Order: sequence, then C-alpha cells, then structure tokens
Amino acid sequence: MRAEELKGHLDGLLLAALEDGPRHGYAVIEALRQSTGGQLDLPTGTIYPALRRLEHAGLITGSWSLVAGRQRREYRLTAAGRRALSGKRADWHDFAAMISAALEAEPWPNPA
Amino acid sequence: MAEPRLISNYLAELSAQLPAPIVIELADGLYQTHQRYLSEGLDPGAAAHAALAEFGEPQVVVAAFTRASPARRAARTLLATGPLAGACWAAVLITNHAWTWPVTARILPAAALITVVALLASAARSPYYRTTSRAVVTACLGLTTLDATVLTTTAVLAPALTWPVILAATASTARIAYTARALHAIQGPLTR
Repeated sequence: MRAEELKGHLDGLLLAALEDGPRHGYAVIEALRQSTGGQLDLPTGTIYPALRRLEHAGLITGSWSLVAGRQRREYRLTAAGRRALSGKRADWHDFAAMISAALEAEPWPNPA
Repeated sequence: MAEPRLISNYLAELSAQLPAPIVIELADGLYQTHQRYLSEGLDPGAAAHAALAEFGEPQVVVAAFTRASPARRAARTLLATGPLAGACWAAVLITNHAWTWPVTARILPAAALITVVALLASAARSPYYRTTSRAVVTACLGLTTLDATVLTTTAVLAPALTWPVILAATASTARIAYTARALHAIQGPLTR
C-alpha cells in the first residue's frame, strides 16, 4: 500500500497501536513502523499532534510519568476509542470486500 | 546524557512556538530516536542528524500541531456557524428598524464583528501555533463581549419577545457557551 493511502488511515492505525495496552509516543511510532512494514513515510514529529487530536476527541487519554529522569507522556485507549477502532475495522473490511469483489469479478464477455 | 547541540537547537526552535508540555513530549521522543541511532552504531553527531531528519523540519512539526490544535478547530467552527447567528441577528435588526438606533449601537458592534472575523480567518490558516492560539483567544473574548452587548442592547431597545429575538438570543447564548469551552480547550495544551 502506498504511503499516501496509509496516511488516510492514520487515526485507525494509531488506535490499533494502542489496542494491546498503553504506549508512549515513541513506542506508538515504533509500533506503527512495524505494523506498516516501514511504509508510513511521515515525519515522526507529526505523529504527536495526531495523538493530541485523538486525545482531544476523547478516543485516547494521556498521562505523564517520570522515566529515568525524563517526563514521558503515555497514551491509552478509552472506551470511545475502542468503539471507534471497531467501527474503523468494520468500515475497512466492508470497503476491502467491495473493492476485492469489483477487482476480482469475471470480465464481461466480449460481444464481438 | 547531554543532548547534542543540534538537538538542543531544534528543541529551542520548537519551544519558541509550542507550549512547554508539548515540547517536553517531543524532547522525550527525540531523545529515544537519537538513542536508537546510537545503538545502531552511529556517532552522536550523525545520530542527531538522523533523528532530526526522521522527526521533520521544526516548521513542519509546528504546522502539524497548529492544524490539530483546539484553537484551529474553534476558529473553523466559529467561522462556519457565524453566518447562521448573523442571519438570526440580521432578522432582529431588520424587524426592529435598527437603522433608527443610536449610531454607537450600530457602528461599534459592526467594527467589532469585522475584527473578530478577521482574527478567526487568519487563525484558520496560520501555520503558527502561538499566533493561532492568541488570535482565537482574542476573537473568543471579543465574540463573547459582542454577543453579550447585542443581547443587552436588544433587551433595552427592542424588548418585545418575538421569534427572531428568541432565535438570535438562543444562537448567541449557545455561542457564548461554545467560546467558553473553546477557551478552556485552548488552555489545555499549555498545562498538560
């Protein structure tokens, strides 16, 4: 899949990266890198505002902790975030099934 | 471990535009990215270069935070809903022959409204976080003052409770409540 197409699904990918438990920003980016096979070609500094946007939307919550003398912000999915992730998965499956059906359909017989 | 000067300069550039909690979070991510490149065998300078290249130019990061900011959302929402509130008030002004009202009751709100719209329009497009936040805070305060003023002026000069007045008063009250929430949200990233 192209990087541009992946960017269109960034919110879903970020929510999925937090599905297994809380992660801080860098860990989310690493999870995203692994889940997309390194295909997401975004400056990593722009992932953090996306996390803040999801937090403002109530889909994730952030909290600070102190790790090795450094302040670190950790994010976790909220109940609304889990519902949003389920919705995005369902939408994606429907969309993928529709495109698959269209692309794999038998060609129409040539009338000639 | 001390950060290389390259990273310190980068964070200083971000600090000039973004709230401190956001810069602290970015500093942690940048530190970990730098550590990863060090563990891959790069020398500190090359690791800093690689980490910064991965993070993106400061203006790109600032613009991304600005696009996702509560101030940008508030500016766009107020600009989108403004015509509806404006139409409600236009109906009130026309049905109450507002052109007969004192000049100050007509000119001052119009001038304030033009200023507010200009501030919101600039905030809806600016790539600068602090500029956007300041513009929207000023616009929200101005809009609240404006709504309170037109509500009071109408109560004094056109006290009859007609449908246009009820609709306009409801629109202004809803907008006052929204701007209060928006101001609270804009303060959020400054503190958490």
